[in-house]
Amino acid sequence: MSQKVIEVINLTKQFKSYKKKPGLKGSLQSFFNRKYSIKKAVHGFNLEINKGEIIGLLGPNGAGKTTLMKMFTGIIVPTSGELTINGHSPWERKKEFKKKIALVMGQKSQLWWDIPAMDSFLLLQKFYELSNQEFKQRLDYMSELLGVVDLLHVHVRKLSLGERMKMELMASLLHNPDVIFLDEPTIGLDLVAQENIRAFILDFHKKNGTTIIITSHYMADVQALCKRLVLIFDGTKAYDGPLEKFENILGNEKTVSFTFSEEIPCCGYLDEFHGEWNEGRTSVDIRVPEENLREVGKKVLDLHPVIEFNTEKMPIERVMKTLMTNPEVLRAQRDHANLPA
Amino acid sequence: MQTYLLKWWQTIRISWSKYTAYRLNFFLQVVGPFLVFFFIKYNLWSSIYEGSSTPVIKGYNFSDMMHYHIWTLIISLLGQGYAAMNLSEDIRLGRISSYLIYPFEFWEFHTAGFVSFQILQVFVSSITLCLAVFFGFIEFPSLSIILTGFSFTLFMGMFWFTMQYFTGLLAFWLEETWIMRVLLSIIVSFLSGYIFPLELYPEWLVGALKYSPFPYMSYFPAKIFMGQEVNLTLGYSVLTFWIAVFAYINHLIWKKGMRLYTAAGM
Repeated sequence: MSQKVIEVINLTKQFKSYKKKPGLKGSLQSFFNRKYSIKKAVHGFNLEINKGEIIGLLGPNGAGKTTLMKMFTGIIVPTSGELTINGHSPWERKKEFKKKIALVMGQKSQLWWDIPAMDSFLLLQKFYELSNQEFKQRLDYMSELLGVVDLLHVHVRKLSLGERMKMELMASLLHNPDVIFLDEPTIGLDLVAQENIRAFILDFHKKNGTTIIITSHYMADVQALCKRLVLIFDGTKAYDGPLEKFENILGNEKTVSFTFSEEIPCCGYLDEFHGEWNEGRTSVDIRVPEENLREVGKKVLDLHPVIEFNTEKMPIERVMKTLMTNPEVLRAQRDHANLPA
Repeated sequence: MQTYLLKWWQTIRISWSKYTAYRLNFFLQVVGPFLVFFFIKYNLWSSIYEGSSTPVIKGYNFSDMMHYHIWTLIISLLGQGYAAMNLSEDIRLGRISSYLIYPFEFWEFHTAGFVSFQILQVFVSSITLCLAVFFGFIEFPSLSIILTGFSFTLFMGMFWFTMQYFTGLLAFWLEETWIMRVLLSIIVSFLSGYIFPLELYPEWLVGALKYSPFPYMSYFPAKIFMGQEVNLTLGYSVLTFWIAVFAYINHLIWKKGMRLYTAAGM
């Protein structure tokens, strides 16, 4: 039986905030007569994660992903509900718990700006009570894999964003945590750096069997790393299941794009699909059910002077886009197809 | 225990390299206060004494006054240099999150930073002392005076730290804490005797200040360095009391602030 690492039951977090009108008058008013409003950032959230899983936590901005991450790491205290990570209640902030987790925030640096990354690592070695041998072994492994051996002694402020992110990852993983929380680890990075980071995470996971929770707005991250997705909308769980099932949540149609060497006159076989043509009618995107892909492809190739064609690489991106602009779709789908939530 | 001390030691080392990362900054930190002293205090007091019909003001002749001010300068470098800027920035920019995750607490980290800063300031104030002796402002005092004065001033530095920590923690509620700090430093400058020796103040005020921490922040240690008799037991007792008070207040503020922080989720 697989071992549960994270257990979340009916987790809720409310924030109390007050509105203030601009200017001195507004400040005075809000000082004497403050109107509070309660915002539910996360409510009724349930989740179970087994040891060694990599979970993609997805959702639009403000859906509650970061709030969840902060509750998981003990930074903020839940309003109600149960939460255990590796047998600990995170908000108790016990040292044994802290030594088992890591949080990497793509938008916030945890390294000290004015000193080389190596100095920060040495400090973390002491914080996490690592022996010199453990420390050296892990440092060598990670710095070589990430290709930053020569940068360890450079001041952090002089590193590029990509290089810094690699150092951030190393800093967070030196103590070999059981559970890693990655909050948008590839944000703002170029494609090569993104790929490096992904490859590193996969390698680290393979080597250590770590449980990883990752949030990202880049679907390429999710596609490359996660087998299971958890979707969060307005603080509640909207989907929890395998990646492949999520890709087909809106049906099993694939988008196929064709480009032709000449204009295709209206209205032939291709127009039956009600696809999207470009202005000169030299290229089209059509939606084809997965099982008909071969047949349709063959027919179009036979009928028209095709110079290029491809099927979409990341259906998950399309699904996410559709759901974000139209969240009701998911509710309707769920009601019909009885999808796990 | 040993691993715990190693955490402190490494944090002190890291803070040390942070403080000395910018060499020009470090140089200015050493030379700056001395130049400011020379151009402002020296010239100000020499004009006051030149314009005055009596060469002695409340028992201080010009040379006494200069001695007094050189010592308050060294004392302020040694005991009042630390500013809780990093601390309030950590709070304001939400960097507390990192400390909540590390197995080393926020207060431990910043206290280690303070210790490291104090070591640096021992150098800075010693250089200033040597400069003052070199330029003939003061004579080098006896070793026992130096030891007594430095120990008391470093102890006072602990009080200064708890007070700075207090202003830093206010960042939980205030957008900017530097106004508070400037206000505090003006009050301290006046009441501690940094600007004028306390003999120049009305007696009732000096009496009222006796059990406050202020006189022990400049006037009292200056008297030690000048070789005058002081009640060391009283000085240490008053400061111990105030250190305990501020440490407790800081503890409460941190608890309240953390509730605010974790509830607002910065």
